[in-house]
Amino acid sequence: MWIKCNDGLRLFRHGRENFNAAAQAAGSCTSFRADVEEEWVTDESRSCYNCRYRRWTADSFVCQAAP
Amino acid sequence: MNVLVCIDDTDNLESRGTGDLAEQLAGEVRERSWGLCEFVTRHQLLLHPDVPYTSHNSSMCFAADIDAQHLPALIERAQKFLAEESAPGSDPGLAVAVPESLRDATALIEFGRRAKQDVLSKQDAYSLAHDLGVHLSEHGGTGQGVIGALAGTGLRLSGNDGRIKGWMDIPTSDGVAKVADIVARFNLGGVRSMDGALLAADDLIAVGEKPKAVFLGGKPFLMVSPLQQEGGVRWQTSSRRDLKQY
Repeated sequence: MWIKCNDGLRLFRHGRENFNAAAQAAGSCTSFRADVEEEWVTDESRSCYNCRYRRWTADSFVCQAAP
Repeated sequence: MNVLVCIDDTDNLESRGTGDLAEQLAGEVRERSWGLCEFVTRHQLLLHPDVPYTSHNSSMCFAADIDAQHLPALIERAQKFLAEESAPGSDPGLAVAVPESLRDATALIEFGRRAKQDVLSKQDAYSLAHDLGVHLSEHGGTGQGVIGALAGTGLRLSGNDGRIKGWMDIPTSDGVAKVADIVARFNLGGVRSMDGALLAADDLIAVGEKPKAVFLGGKPFLMVSPLQQEGGVRWQTSSRRDLKQY
């Protein structure tokens, strides 16, 4: 699900359009915290794509929560 | 006079969002009887390793119709507001543009479009703001937010960028609402399909959870997608996934 970055953070392996994988990852995450409404990009409220700890990149996102 | 107020980079991972601050500032404009404010729009900017955004790199803008005499007070209050309310570690920026007195509106819009595609510098932003007569100021940290703030005024001015903050609480009958009723209630430009077709006033829409509007042609539009079911309802409100592109 994740690629470990040199700075210790984790890059989501599945890009920006794999909504099932993003929901699955958030479902088992103890750090998940919903971002503000205007930054939600999917209708599943619990998704890494809607989490305030995700930092979007051009192709995916980096998780800024502690692993 | 119409003014565009845009803020950027006011948050950190634990704070309120920039959109909430924009709404609060708009509320203050109304409370102080300086004028009337429109909705807040969210404008997506470039996602790039060289851009030091917190998590999504978006700026928040609202339009206000104020008496010209209140403009200096509005700018002064917005500056103080950002200094007080921005989160620790943020790099807030403020832009206030008066479209009717811009020296070159096209240049401001072009700056907004470039900020979605290129890495721009603070110097780029300050230089253009000076040339155009736009107020631009920074209120903490690196002040990097001035780039997004200026870009946001340009994108709002373009009339064709971004999503409206918040969602529409649309009254329905069995989950269905008529286009004419939605347009009238929310003062929309209309209801459009994702491929650009404008729906008729008597078309029916299945209303999903927390529908959002986007900013097109200078007005908010509700976007809908085809609905495959029998009966007279051929459309449903578009999902957030569909609206990502705005």
